[in-house]
Amino acid sequence: MELELGLALPNNHLMKGFDLNDGSTTNSYRKRGFEEAFEKVIPFSSPLPRKTTLPLFVHKNGGDGDDENDGPQLKNPDELNSISGSRALVGWPPVKHPRRRSAGGGAGERWSEDCGSNSYAGGGGRRAKCVKVKMEGVAIGRKVDLCLHDSYEELFHTLNQMFPTMQHGVAYAHPHHRHFTVTYEDGEGDWLLVGDVPWEAFIQSVKRLKILS
Amino acid sequence: MPAGGGWAAMFPDEVWEHVFSFLAADGDRNAVSLVCRGWYHIERRSRRRIFVGNCYAIAPTVAVRRFPNVRVVSIKGKPHFADFNLVPSDWGGHADAWVAAMAEGWPLLEELHLKRMVVTDECLELLARSFKNFRVLALSFCEGVSTAGLAAIAANCRNLRELDLQETVVEENCVHWLSHFPESSTSLVNLSIASLEEDVNIAVLEHLVSRCTNLKTLKLNYAVPLDRLVNLLCRAPQLANLGTGRFTAEYRPELFSKLESAFASCKSMKSLSGICEAVPEYLPAIYPICDGLTSLNLCDAPVNGASLTKLVSRCKNLQRLWVMDVIEDDGLAAVASSCKLLQELRVFPCDPYGADPVSLTEHGLVTVSTGCPMLQSVLYFCRQMTNDALFAVARSSPNLTCFRLCIIDPHTPDYVTLEPLDAGFSAIVESCKDLRRLSVSGLLTNNVFRSIGASADCLEMLSIAFAGDSDAGLHYILSGCKSLRKLEIRDCPFGDKALLANAAKLETMRSLWMSSCFVSLGACRLLAQKMPLLNVEVMDEKKRGGSWDSQPDDCLVEKLYVYRTVAGQRSDTPPCVWTV
Repeated sequence: MELELGLALPNNHLMKGFDLNDGSTTNSYRKRGFEEAFEKVIPFSSPLPRKTTLPLFVHKNGGDGDDENDGPQLKNPDELNSISGSRALVGWPPVKHPRRRSAGGGAGERWSEDCGSNSYAGGGGRRAKCVKVKMEGVAIGRKVDLCLHDSYEELFHTLNQMFPTMQHGVAYAHPHHRHFTVTYEDGEGDWLLVGDVPWEAFIQSVKRLKILS
Repeated sequence: MPAGGGWAAMFPDEVWEHVFSFLAADGDRNAVSLVCRGWYHIERRSRRRIFVGNCYAIAPTVAVRRFPNVRVVSIKGKPHFADFNLVPSDWGGHADAWVAAMAEGWPLLEELHLKRMVVTDECLELLARSFKNFRVLALSFCEGVSTAGLAAIAANCRNLRELDLQETVVEENCVHWLSHFPESSTSLVNLSIASLEEDVNIAVLEHLVSRCTNLKTLKLNYAVPLDRLVNLLCRAPQLANLGTGRFTAEYRPELFSKLESAFASCKSMKSLSGICEAVPEYLPAIYPICDGLTSLNLCDAPVNGASLTKLVSRCKNLQRLWVMDVIEDDGLAAVASSCKLLQELRVFPCDPYGADPVSLTEHGLVTVSTGCPMLQSVLYFCRQMTNDALFAVARSSPNLTCFRLCIIDPHTPDYVTLEPLDAGFSAIVESCKDLRRLSVSGLLTNNVFRSIGASADCLEMLSIAFAGDSDAGLHYILSGCKSLRKLEIRDCPFGDKALLANAAKLETMRSLWMSSCFVSLGACRLLAQKMPLLNVEVMDEKKRGGSWDSQPDDCLVEKLYVYRTVAGQRSDTPPCVWTV
């Protein structure tokens, strides 16, 4: 059974995507259409039907399950070209350096671990603030990147997904109604209830999370 | 000549074994085993080392049965892109089945090298119990063990020579694991614990280092402060490879001079790493060993360029340099004029996401390439590149075996001409006939892949990201690149056609990774159907426990990992992975 897919990329679409400066420069490397490029190399008996074209860029989602049924969406080329300040692409640039330490700290101080979007001691740009999450009774801990969340609701949503058994009886915005208690260790080593301080303050001081039943 | 393979019986088996012992390369031994049944059996019984590039390519029990006398084994698990968090964390790569099979079949095993695998404490405990001659445990980029497991190794492996935890994540629950090395244990040659985050008992460490007089490699973790480093060095002046802990402290002249003397007493030091968060004031303490250094890793030292330059300029015999981009073009110019024996250069970004420009450009790369005639291996992160620079590198360094260029922003063109970097990379592959590993980046069209497919005859591993125009690009690679073993692709407009047209090629390769491309589930199904010796794994982390069978053919696959195997489908796939 031959699989026929239309993967032709229309030229004007491409021009938009690669037009980095002004239109005049794009003429120096005209993209060839799919058939022009590909048919020469592989002799297929039937020409490819020009079906709906798929865009060049694929949208990177934050991790919510809503867009399972959505096709790939066009990403703004500017967004792709300047990573700093925006949500970085997963695993790009491909640096795999291990844990960084905060300079000047004692042996007890810990820099948050990297979730994969590694950051160095230098400032500026996007950081990943990954903290360990351990749930009482669950052997394997997880890591959550707090920088990908803007509020406690989002954090609890992620925690629900990571620890499905937690889902029973969790009300996002009302910590007191939960059957599980989410606590965190702050910079001073104290364990506090998550949700008591404003989100920004929480982000600054949290070192790791623990879920108690 | 007697029939039925009898000619092998002209000599006793021991003679053939002796002959085969001169064949170091696995490829040669594999070839020998195909000659006749007699040689197959002699070879397999005398094979002492095996390398398993993909832990799922063969069932552990089958490997152990075929080669019953193995002493050294090396196994790799997760795909390379796992280092950049592209592979689901529960994908697999479990060492349990291997360790269990080895415990059964290889009681005389001496060395175990695992890379990117999930190892458990139970594995380590089984290891410690099962192999009385066990000498080397090297876990690199692994996870799943805790210090309790390390304690079991320390306590039970009588003749342990090497414990190397390079980049392995260790759960630290047993504070005194180092104390489990018995007093009588003096055999250590390599102790590398740089990846441990927590404090180790330094007094115990000092005592261990003192009694292991053959210790050649010591890589400490961050928790070991500078003043304790002095004590350790004084106890082990015979060290050849040192990884320091944190190299930062308030400047104290007496500490500085002690440190300097300690380094001066290490006459055999060849390799230095660690230097975590070095402060410029202490770097000169390293000067006494600079002349002898062949390898220097400054990736944890985001010190200003001038200090780095002063240090590196003294290392006239350097063969390998790993450094951060804060060294800048000027620093690399100093490297080019001082380090004439340089073979390997890696430059990492200090601040990958920062908008602040660093003065490290394509000029630095060109200067090193021009100035260091023995340059063979390059890994270079930068923010701008030109085709001219790549032409210069191609001309000056035709002996490159590894060229990995990462221009940090995807789709970045030649910043002078605004052209794609096709011509530059094409020049590299055409000039560097021995190129075995290549990573491309920047703005690239299908043209570069045509060149790579046609010219890169020795290329074994190729990494592509945000490049190409269409399937033709992938087709050029798969239909060319005679020696290709590993191909990893992300975010490229490559899809079904090229994959299906080159299905047979995939069986000649170890593995193919494609993520965020245009591969459909239908193509994967077709591929899996046509090629029974391939495992076609599709992954989607949102689909936990959902049914893959009901997904339509035209749905796009987010992550695809195809690898050849004689073990059939694996049984340990997590919910987000489906073997089609």
